[in-house]
Amino acid sequence: MKKILIIEDDESVRSELKTLLSNAGYQVILSEDYQNMLDFIIKTKPDLVLLDINIPYMNGEVLLKNLRRVSNIPVIMVTSKNTEIDEVLSMSYGADDYITKPYNPTILLLRIGAVLKRSEKVLADFLSYHDLVIDIKKGIVKNGEEEIILTKNEMIIFLYLYERMGSIVLRDELMTELWNNDEYINDNALTVNISRLRSKLRELGIDEAILTRKGQGYILV
Amino acid sequence: MKFFLYLKDHVFFLVMIVLIYFIFLSFMIGFKIDFSLQVCFSVLYFLLFIILFLYDFFRKYFFYKDFLEKLDLLQEKYLICELVGKPNFLDGEIFYQALYEVNKSMNENIRDYRSKINDFKEYVELWIHEVKIPLSALMLYTHNKKSDKVQAREINRVDNYLEQILYYIRSENTEVDYIIKEVMLSKVIRNVMLKNKDVLLEANIEIESDVANISVLTDYKWLEFMINQVISNSIKYMRDIQNKKIEIKAYQQDSFVVLEVLDNGMGIPESDLSRTFNKTFTGKNGRKVPGSTGMGLYIVSNLCKKLGHKIEIESQEGKYTKVIFTFNKESFYKEVQ
Repeated sequence: MKKILIIEDDESVRSELKTLLSNAGYQVILSEDYQNMLDFIIKTKPDLVLLDINIPYMNGEVLLKNLRRVSNIPVIMVTSKNTEIDEVLSMSYGADDYITKPYNPTILLLRIGAVLKRSEKVLADFLSYHDLVIDIKKGIVKNGEEEIILTKNEMIIFLYLYERMGSIVLRDELMTELWNNDEYINDNALTVNISRLRSKLRELGIDEAILTRKGQGYILV
Repeated sequence: MKFFLYLKDHVFFLVMIVLIYFIFLSFMIGFKIDFSLQVCFSVLYFLLFIILFLYDFFRKYFFYKDFLEKLDLLQEKYLICELVGKPNFLDGEIFYQALYEVNKSMNENIRDYRSKINDFKEYVELWIHEVKIPLSALMLYTHNKKSDKVQAREINRVDNYLEQILYYIRSENTEVDYIIKEVMLSKVIRNVMLKNKDVLLEANIEIESDVANISVLTDYKWLEFMINQVISNSIKYMRDIQNKKIEIKAYQQDSFVVLEVLDNGMGIPESDLSRTFNKTFTGKNGRKVPGSTGMGLYIVSNLCKKLGHKIEIESQEGKYTKVIFTFNKESFYKEVQ
């Protein structure tokens, strides 16, 4: 389980963030000891730090600068100050991403996921799922000699479900992921894409790959 | 200042001088003074006054000519006192001193207002940043409690209005607080679309975006705000229409990049088209659709002016609205640098 440290001085935001990230399957750690935050980060070694710019005692940017001298833990800056200058500054201090309040929670999760994935640097070209081999670059699913081509949308949906195999994925999450890849499709198209993906997997011999949880979303099993 | 007008202004003196001359003349005739002496006296008498008048006239003439010429050339007319030297005649001095005092007090007044406006702007900006914090908490809360989508949508609306006033302040500010760098149009479009995703899906609006790998030189955040305004407008003015669609297209043209946002909404009446960028102009459509402030496009066009982009609107009532941004490729910013 990935460990995320939330550094945020607003209590309501902090507790809601904690709920959001816990629900999304992350382990959340918090600290309000802003003076010794750097030591705390080094000691607890989180996989990612969500850092607010306006924190007491020490500006978030200063903390980031100090942190970068000793560690390259991924850091996402969070701020309500919405100017390009602030963003460019934060990035130059070594932030991995910069998000402005108020953030859409689904997009926040997406960006956290992206930063974590980037830091792992294991972007495989091939995935295996049951008896299938997925060639991401070519957009092909193979079962032995049998091959089926997935469209871009189907591949995006499959990969997103694959990364969260066994847990429920909301329709809204899938939609956000598709839109984040410049595929601005509507609700019907999403339903069509999922059923087409299902029938393609069925053709390759996997009958019950994507389950529907009524009113919640989908699970890849 | 014309000599004739000067004489007209001194007509009382002239009458007195002539009158006194005749009194002298009658005395001289009465005392039977020699005729040649009379002529001599008359010539000297008038010569003296002519010299006096000419001296006085030119003294004033040169000062006022200089003053009026400089005033005419000057753009900030209130700076005239700094440019013109003190005159060397009494009424001029009084006038100059008074002008100086008036200017000074006016400048102090303006400075006062300016600093008050700046304080106010700073406070509003700070306030907006503060308000966004509870708004974030609310957004997260709504998401965590899996509440109705209506709540999330309303929070988004509040956020949009906050952005509008924030950029209004920025667009009116003389200070430069933007950074020009290369921005991928696809990234801007993506973020605007994600921001409006729920509303677009709910309204069942089809999106077609073809911006390929085109990038422009601009401030990322400002452009995101501008496109968000345009898309919000498209959504707002697209009620009761079948097959709603927004098409976004970008292409290179000579040394420009053109970005078009086309919707098949209610369009803009021809009579309103030229005024769409005016402050608080809402027009015929504004009366049909609630929530029209007439500020959105005004702010957008102001930001465009500051960044050196061009914005135009084409429309046909009941058919379509097309907003066209034109970005200068490099040359403009090279000149600035």
